[in-house]
Amino acid sequence: MNLFRLQYRYAPYIFLAPFALVFLTFSLYPLVKSFVLAFYITNGPKSQVFVGLDNFAFLFGDPAFHTAVWNTCVYAFCSVFLQLPCSLGLALLLNQSMLKGRDFFRFSFFSPHLVGTVFVGVLFSVIFIPKFGLLNRVLHVLFGVAEDTKWLGSPELVMPALVLTSLWMYVGFNMIYFLAALQAVDRELYEAAQVDGAGKVGQFLHITLPSIRPVAVFVIVLSTIGSFQLYELPYIMLNNTSGPDNAGLTVVMYLYQNGFVSGDLGYASTIGWSLTFGVLLISLVQMRLTGTWKKED
Amino acid sequence: MLSRLEEYLPFGKAPIIILLVTLAAGLFLLFQPVPDNTATMRLWTFARNHAIPYQEATPAFEAKNPGTKLDVQLVHGEAVTSRLRAAFWADLDVPDLVEVEIGRAGSFFRGPVEEVGFIDLLPILRRTGYYDRIVKTRFAPYTNRGRIFGLPHDVHPVMLAYRRDLFEEAGIDVEKLDTWEKFIAAGRRLTVPGKRYMIELSDSNSGHFEMFLFQRDGGYFDIDGNLIMDSETVYETLLFFTPLVAGQQRIASDLGSGRVFTQAVEQGYFLSFVCPDWRSKIAETDIPRMAGKMALMPLPAVAPGGRRTSTWGGTMLGITKACPDPELAWAVAEHMYFNKAELAERFAQTNILPPLKDAWELDAFKEPRPYWSGQPLGALYAGLAEEVPPQYTTPFIETAKAKMSEVISACAAYYRSNGDEGFAQFARTRLDAAAEEVRTYMRRNPY
Repeated sequence: MNLFRLQYRYAPYIFLAPFALVFLTFSLYPLVKSFVLAFYITNGPKSQVFVGLDNFAFLFGDPAFHTAVWNTCVYAFCSVFLQLPCSLGLALLLNQSMLKGRDFFRFSFFSPHLVGTVFVGVLFSVIFIPKFGLLNRVLHVLFGVAEDTKWLGSPELVMPALVLTSLWMYVGFNMIYFLAALQAVDRELYEAAQVDGAGKVGQFLHITLPSIRPVAVFVIVLSTIGSFQLYELPYIMLNNTSGPDNAGLTVVMYLYQNGFVSGDLGYASTIGWSLTFGVLLISLVQMRLTGTWKKED
Repeated sequence: MLSRLEEYLPFGKAPIIILLVTLAAGLFLLFQPVPDNTATMRLWTFARNHAIPYQEATPAFEAKNPGTKLDVQLVHGEAVTSRLRAAFWADLDVPDLVEVEIGRAGSFFRGPVEEVGFIDLLPILRRTGYYDRIVKTRFAPYTNRGRIFGLPHDVHPVMLAYRRDLFEEAGIDVEKLDTWEKFIAAGRRLTVPGKRYMIELSDSNSGHFEMFLFQRDGGYFDIDGNLIMDSETVYETLLFFTPLVAGQQRIASDLGSGRVFTQAVEQGYFLSFVCPDWRSKIAETDIPRMAGKMALMPLPAVAPGGRRTSTWGGTMLGITKACPDPELAWAVAEHMYFNKAELAERFAQTNILPPLKDAWELDAFKEPRPYWSGQPLGALYAGLAEEVPPQYTTPFIETAKAKMSEVISACAAYYRSNGDEGFAQFARTRLDAAAEEVRTYMRRNPY
C-alpha cells in the first residue's frame, strides 16, 4: 500500500516538525545569534558595532563582573556544602521507619519549593525587615542582636540572607532526590554489614554513600548549575538592585543589567557565554572528582 | 471508522488524535476575536497617582478632540522600562506617549541621536512659549545632545518633614535650624542609638546622598555630559554625609519603605525625613495617625544664606517617533500637563508641584493642610521650586548611580569600623576607582 509506505517514511518527520521548528526558532537561532552578538557592542538589535574579542577582554578586567562571579561562587559553594548536607541529613531522618508522621514531614519540607521563588523572595524580604521583622525580633530576644540589623542593607549580611532563604526553599526539594535514592538501597546490604559488625557510621560511609552516589552527583551538578543561574531571589529581595556595594550582584543579574537595562545585548551575550563555559567546566570537574566516569569493576 | 483507518496508520490512533487536537486548538486560537482596541492614542504611565487623574481627564480631552480615543494604560514601573525598550527595538506595540522615571530616562538616549525613540520637543516648546513658563532646571534630565526628549511632569523640591510634636517636646525651634551644622548638633542631642534618630537617611544607596549632592550644585555629569562624580564637590559631600549615617556619632538610620517606614515614624524612631512633594502625599496616606503632628521645614543650608532645597525623583513625558500624529500627542501632553484647572485638582490629589510656574498662583496651591499642622503645602514647595538644582544626565546615569551607591556603602562600612582614621583617603580612593570604572564604560561606547 503506497499510502502506508508514505506514512511510514514521513510520519516521524511530520510529528517531529513542530518541535524542530520551535527548537530552531526559540533555542538554536537565539543561541547562534547570541554567540555572534558576543563580538559586537550593541544598542538594541538594530544598532551594532563589531568589536571582535574586545567584549571578552573587557569582561575579564571588569570589576563588576568579578564581583558578580565571586558572589555567585560563594552562593554556589554554600548551596553545595551547606544545602546538600542538610538535604541528605533530612532525607536520612525521614527515611527512618520508626519516625511517626513521616509523610507530613516530607510534605512540609518539600512544600516551600511549591510556592515559587518570587513568593519566597517577598516573604523573606518581610522576615528580614529591620526593627520590625520577625527574624530580628527573634534574634534580639534570644541573642540580643540589634533590632535594626539590616540584613538586606549591609554588604556583609546580604549573602547570608540569600543563602538562608534558598536553604529554606531548596533543602526540602533536594531531600526528595536523596530520599528516593535511600529507598532504593538494598536492605540486605545493611543486614550483612550488621552481621559483620559494622556500626552506623561505617554503614553510612561504606553502604549508603556509595549506593546513592549517582543521585548525589546528579544533585550536586544540578544545584551548582542552578546556583550559577541565580537571579529571581536577589532581584526580588533586593528590590531590583544588586544590593549594597554590589553584595547581591550575580552573573545572571549582571547579564540582565547589561542587556536589558543598558541595552548592550553584545556584552550581555559575552557574559552569557562565559557563564555557559564556566558552568560546563565546573560540572566536568565535579563529575571527574566524584568519579562519574570511573568504570565499574 | 477509526478502526478501519487503523490499517492505514502504522503508528496507531494516538498520533492522529494528537494532530486533530492540535489543529482544533490552533483553529480555535486563530478565530478568537481580536480585543476591541479602537484607541487612536495610547499613553503609558508607571504611577497609579498619575494614571488615575489622566483617566479622569480623558473624557474632557476626547470632547475637545472629536474622533479621538485616548487609552491611558498603567504599566508597572519596572515593566514600563523593559517593555518600552523592547518596543523600540522591535518597532512593535510602541505607545504614542510614555512617562519615564527620571533615573531611567537617560538610558533611552543611548545610541545615535537619530535612533533615540522620542521626538525632540524643543521646537514645539519654544513655538508654544512653554519653554519659558516651565522651571528651566527640570529640562536638564531629559536633555541630550541639545535636544529635549521629555516634558517634565514635576519639580520635586525637597523639604524636611518632621514630627512637630516631638520637636516641640524637645524644645527644638526649627526656625533656628537653618544650616546643616545646627541641624546635626540638634540631631546629636536627640538621637538615641537603636531607638531614635534625627533623620531617615540610607547608608547603602545613592538616593539620599544625591539630595545633599544636588543641594551643593554637584552631580554625576556636567552640562556637557562629562563625568564629574569624582569632583571635589562630590568628595566633600561624601565626607560630610558618611558620618551622618555611620559611626558612633550618626544621627540617621534607614529601615526601608512601606509599612516599616510608617511604623518608624509613628513610633518616633525617625524624627524627620527628607520629603519631596510626592512623598508628602505618601506620608498623608500611609501615616494618617500623624495628622496634625507633622510639619515641613526647608532643608537646612550648607552655609548660612545658602540654598534651602534640593530635588529627589521626577518623571518625563515623551512622545515616541512611532506616534503617527505627533500634533495630537502634543495636544494630549498639553491637556495633561498644562491645563491649569486639571493641575489644581491634581495637586490636591497628589501634592506634586507641576513645573508650569503660572499654575502656582491658583488657590489650590495656597490652601493650608491640616495634616501638616495647617501649613500651606503648595506655597511652601512653590517658594523653593525656582531654587531646585539641575540634574544633568547621560545614558550612563544608571551606571554612575550604581557605582555611587557602592561607594556610599563601602564608605559607611569603613567608617563604622575605623571612624575618621584614614577615612578621607579611603573615600577619595573609592570615589576615584568608581569614576574610573564609569569612564571605562563610557570609553567603550562607540556611538
